[in-house]
Amino acid sequence: MADLSGPGSTGAGDSGSDASELDIPMSSIAGGGLLGPLARAQYGALARLRWRMFVNSLRTNKGALEFGARIFTSVVYAVLGLCVGTGAGFATYFLVSHEKWRLLPILFWVLAFLWQVIPVMLASFQEQFDLGILLRFPVRFGSYMLLYMVFGLVDISTILGGLCSAGIWVGVAVARPDLLLWTTVALAVFAAFNILLVRAVFAWIERWLAQRRTREILGAVFMVLLLSMQVFNPALYQKRGSGHRGGMEQAEQLRQANVRYAPILKQVNAVQKWLPPGLAAQAMRQAGAQQPGEGVLSIGVLGLYALLVGGILAVRLKAEYRGENLGAAPARDKVAKAKVRTPAASAASVPIAVSQSGFSSGIYGPMAAIIEKDLRSLLRTLPLLYAIGAPLLLVLVFSGIFIKNGAPEANMFPLALPACLVYAQLGFTQIFYNNLGTEGAGIQLYFLSPTPMRTVMLAKNLLHSLLFGMVALVAALLAVVRLGMPDMVIVAATAAWLLYSLPCNLAAGILFSLKMPYRVNPGRISRQRGSQGNALLSLLVQLAFLVAAAAVFALGWFLGKMWITIPIFLGLAAGAFFVWWQVLGNADATAFERRDKLMATLMKES
Amino acid sequence: METPAIQTHGLTRRFGALTAVEDVTLSVASGQFFGFLGPNGAGKSTTIKMLTGLLEPSAGTVEILGRPFGAGALDLKRQIGVVPEGMALMGRLTATEYLHFVGRMYGLDRETTRRRTEELLEFMQLANETKKLVTDFSHGMQKKLALAAAVIHGPKVLFLDEPFEGVDAIAAGMLKNMLTGMINRGATIFLTTHVLEIVERLCSHVAIISKGRLVANGSLDELRAGVASTLPGAEQEQRLTLEEIFLSIVGAGGQQEQAQELTWLT
Repeated sequence: MADLSGPGSTGAGDSGSDASELDIPMSSIAGGGLLGPLARAQYGALARLRWRMFVNSLRTNKGALEFGARIFTSVVYAVLGLCVGTGAGFATYFLVSHEKWRLLPILFWVLAFLWQVIPVMLASFQEQFDLGILLRFPVRFGSYMLLYMVFGLVDISTILGGLCSAGIWVGVAVARPDLLLWTTVALAVFAAFNILLVRAVFAWIERWLAQRRTREILGAVFMVLLLSMQVFNPALYQKRGSGHRGGMEQAEQLRQANVRYAPILKQVNAVQKWLPPGLAAQAMRQAGAQQPGEGVLSIGVLGLYALLVGGILAVRLKAEYRGENLGAAPARDKVAKAKVRTPAASAASVPIAVSQSGFSSGIYGPMAAIIEKDLRSLLRTLPLLYAIGAPLLLVLVFSGIFIKNGAPEANMFPLALPACLVYAQLGFTQIFYNNLGTEGAGIQLYFLSPTPMRTVMLAKNLLHSLLFGMVALVAALLAVVRLGMPDMVIVAATAAWLLYSLPCNLAAGILFSLKMPYRVNPGRISRQRGSQGNALLSLLVQLAFLVAAAAVFALGWFLGKMWITIPIFLGLAAGAFFVWWQVLGNADATAFERRDKLMATLMKES
Repeated sequence: METPAIQTHGLTRRFGALTAVEDVTLSVASGQFFGFLGPNGAGKSTTIKMLTGLLEPSAGTVEILGRPFGAGALDLKRQIGVVPEGMALMGRLTATEYLHFVGRMYGLDRETTRRRTEELLEFMQLANETKKLVTDFSHGMQKKLALAAAVIHGPKVLFLDEPFEGVDAIAAGMLKNMLTGMINRGATIFLTTHVLEIVERLCSHVAIISKGRLVANGSLDELRAGVASTLPGAEQEQRLTLEEIFLSIVGAGGQQEQAQELTWLT
């Protein structure tokens, strides 16, 4: 055998155990701080790694498609950011030039909301690099955290937030050039706070999602929050009844509201001015009022907030850096207790566990098994639950745009009901169009078992249709509560449209799921390996279905006979159902043709 | 002549320009404990994937229990059990839920699934872990669960890709007893592993694949005799271990010499 014992052997590197004496390449670049030679070498290596990963990804058609989709979405978000930024700039200019300082915090609150909410909305569609791979290397914690921050800077929320901040900066620069320095500092600290906060929130949510108990508590808290947010939704308190109100009456109502809510608003203002968006706005106001001391204080407190949030993030990253494996995180004391159980206790626990599977008392077969399994997985996957639930929130909030003068009966748009249901449908994009995404290594079982893939897809489609039906029903009820009962012809036409739309999406979903799947890590809401290609194309396909539906509605509108849309949609539904059935029938052939790619994609560690 | 449990003819798999498995023809008799060995990247997992329908061969045929086997051969799939390379587990289920799911996917009735799940969890020492999600299991526990899932439907042919990796010594001993019991009751087991001692103890027949080609195939005694015949006279009398047979056949001498050159290693 080779003698690899080291000490005692010949060679410059074998003279002793002191690393400083070792003549190995590592010693020449070791040491240094955050920007020391070793750290710089590591940053360079990581940059080259990312570059090579990018270049290699272009070798496949899928990679090229992903790149194209990424360019397209970046352009879209950049345009969107420019629009929002321009709006923020004009609003800032107006407020600052007219010295309406009291309203400036609203802009900063909107900016903070955008910065924090967009990552949640887009988490599944953004490919993010998991820095966990760095932990095996001699990377300093400071470098690890720096890289964590740097890699987060290119995400959509930062781009949008940055463009909005730039808009505010330009608005102030034009209205009050003397405040430029203050504005720059306040915006920079505010941006740092937002970047740190969004990462801290994600890092901690992932920690909680890693444990079953905290995952369930987090899910419950999330749902309660979602519902309780509605208490603050002013649209809920709009009066029903009188259809057209005069200007005098409205003015009187506004005055009464001012009187009624003034004390509350005063209290809210007293609190918000000590929160980061309020502090940023306050710093600019104080600078404008020639109170530099107070301005410095506000920016200082804002900086403290940023430090606090950075500290909270650092605590989490430090645990990751020390090698915490989230998968192994759950209650160690319980594991220890389980190990010392007596055989009698362990035997007693088994029947209880087995009896938990009583979901399908009437049916028992592969299809019921898949439905039960998927339902269990869904209930344990917060990101997917969020994807389903969030559109309902949007329906509740945005249905207000259809209300005219606060009177539901006079809603501006007769097709508000189907429009609300389109929102609900969007929440199912990921579920319909990537229905194997959460299977992971379990995808192998579908190919190993004697259950045909068409049965797997049928079971998934049935479950997803049932879930969509329930969500659509809730969305429709919300719409009716907000907007009043629409004409029965519209209700029937909407139902007919759903009969057309559902099989269309299911059929396209089967094809996308088998041909363009991507791995979804159910324990994460960030750092996912999403697929922008799948996301973009699936949205385009849905858009095509919607355009066809809109054309039918437009025809009924144009002819003044809305009932005519019902038979048209039913005819289209029959065609869509036939196509779905054909696609389902071909699922086995499609899956077997692509099985190695399917498995390679879905089993890939994210 | 009895029908072989597993039979391949000219099995080949190409990935673009790379030929991972080339012209593999082998026959595994019914009731045989068959060891399939090879260095890393030799084509073991690719072969097992083709044998179990997870990968389509570029050329050649596979027969299981005397019938042509492909991804669509659903009846035959009821007769085989597999612990694949990725273990085919579903992380968001508990062990009980997962085994129930697998049992139902193989068409077992409720009572049988429930009873076998209970027995398998007890046997695999996972009965205390019924509330834990599979994703929270250790690697060894996942391996045991994957093995339980592979046998829940009582397969006649069992394919195991590295089943002992990460499994503790006590559990490994129990698993070996379970597998030997299956062989005694007439099952056929096709095993790939890097632990040559296990193959030496359990397997009656061994095939060795190297660089995608089958380079040896036969009973242990046949392989031993074949290698010994190439040695000088005095060494022919020694009883060669499987490790020595393996190293001799795949020609690992070069790597050992290279390792001697790594003098900078401490």
